[in-house]
Amino acid sequence: MEAETIRIVLQQAFPEAVELSVEDRTGTGDHFQVTLASPSFDGLPLLDQHRRVNQALAAPLGDGSIHELRIKTKGTA
Amino acid sequence: MKTLNEQIAEVIENEPVAVFMKGTPEMIMCGNSQRALRALHAAGAPVTTVDVLPDPRIRQELSTLSGWPTIPQVFVKGELIGGADITEELLASGELDQKLDESLGTERTQDVKTVALELA
Repeated sequence: MEAETIRIVLQQAFPEAVELSVEDRTGTGDHFQVTLASPSFDGLPLLDQHRRVNQALAAPLGDGSIHELRIKTKGTA
Repeated sequence: MKTLNEQIAEVIENEPVAVFMKGTPEMIMCGNSQRALRALHAAGAPVTTVDVLPDPRIRQELSTLSGWPTIPQVFVKGELIGGADITEELLASGELDQKLDESLGTERTQDVKTVALELA
C-alpha cells in the first residue's frame, strides 16, 4: 500500500486538518507513520484522537494491508 | 472453561496494568510491544502481560472488546490507555506517572507477571 493512498483517505476523513503526512517507515508499504494536526482534535483526549485515525483506516488495518501504524496527533489550539 | 472473551475481560478488569502484546517480556516479538513495556517500566508500573500470538482469536476478541485495532494495548485499572505511541507520549508528558499514582498509589510494586489464556 502506498503512503499516498493512506494520505488521501485521511485527507477525506479530516478535510480540516492543518498538518497531514504519511511516511512509509520501512519502504515496504506496510509500516506507516501518520502525523496529523486538526482543530477537531482540540480538547479531545489522545485516546479518542487515535481512535478517529484508526476508524478512518479501519479497512486497511482490518485486512492486514497496514501491518504497523504509528500515530502522532495533536489539536491546533 | 471460561470463554476467551471472558478470560480477556477478567485480565483487563482484575490486573492493575494489563498489556496485550506480541510475545512475552522475556521474548518480545514486536518493537511496538517493546516500546510500550519500556515506557511502563520507566514509569514504575507493575505489568501483567498476555501474549496474543498463540491464537489469532485472542487479538480478534480483544479488539472487539476494546474497539482498538492494533497491538499492543495497555490498560490501567480496566481502562484502555492506548497503544505504544500513546503510552510513550504519556510517559514523556508525565501523565503516565500521574495516572499510575492516581490509580495504583505511589508505593506500587513493579512486578512483572504473564498470563496465558486457556484456548479451547
